[in-house]
Amino acid sequence: MATTTAAVTLTSDLLSDALSVTTDTTCMKAGTSADGLDQMRMGRNEIPTGTSFDLLDATTAGVDKANKVYIANLSTDETYYVTIVIDAKAIGRLYGGDWMFIPWNMDDATHDLEVTSTGGTNTIEWVKFHENETLATQAD
Amino acid sequence: MATTATITLSSDIMSGFGGITNTMTLREAGTTTDIKETTGYSRRKLAADSKVDLITMANTRVDTTATTTAAKVFIKNIGYNGTIDKTVGVKVFINAVEIGVLYGGDWLMMPAGTTADAEDIEVQPDNDNAVVLEYAMFFQ
Repeated sequence: MATTTAAVTLTSDLLSDALSVTTDTTCMKAGTSADGLDQMRMGRNEIPTGTSFDLLDATTAGVDKANKVYIANLSTDETYYVTIVIDAKAIGRLYGGDWMFIPWNMDDATHDLEVTSTGGTNTIEWVKFHENETLATQAD
Repeated sequence: MATTATITLSSDIMSGFGGITNTMTLREAGTTTDIKETTGYSRRKLAADSKVDLITMANTRVDTTATTTAAKVFIKNIGYNGTIDKTVGVKVFINAVEIGVLYGGDWLMMPAGTTADAEDIEVQPDNDNAVVLEYAMFFQ
């Protein structure tokens, strides 16, 4: 079984009793405790301003399968940001230096994960750990 | 007053993947000013398969009409009574759009709350079995 783990350490001194949370998880296929995610894709993209781009396309084969998505905005300008959109819903903004890690569930084939750049060209790095992806048949 | 989050990803799916470690400091939108507000670290038990608000934005953000705010949400499925079930999950939504499923032990860290209306964070377990979520939001 392939093994993928995601760990996080979250610390904050905003509260008088400082917060420190450390946890990790092993990423499994949907609904199983015995079979880990066994496919992955990763990339780095420069996102120009003014256009929404599909970063990850939802597919019928991927509906209700397990996906874990990591995206980091590598921009060094704190005023630059990338808006993360899922199925036309703006989720939030990744400013320069931010990262996110989510389970991405395609509940239908239009559940694309899109990105839009603001401020200037943002560079992002991303990884998707997943299951059940098949190559598309050659079309031309 | 700083809040930081460090992610570490490791996987043996691809032989060339050396892992990722990345730390972000949570800051106010478009600035280098540390984020100052938090819901605190909370825990909520769910015992029905109905969708409920986990974080109601109107109860946290002072100005829900502001469009230049930053927020980060951390959520973890810790199971129930020490039992972590990887086969059963909790769906996470932003304003009715599904983000993904947190199976037992899984966690997410994502940006949230950047648009004019109240983009509440909602959750819905797969079944009526008890499950507990730990969560925190950091925001401005």
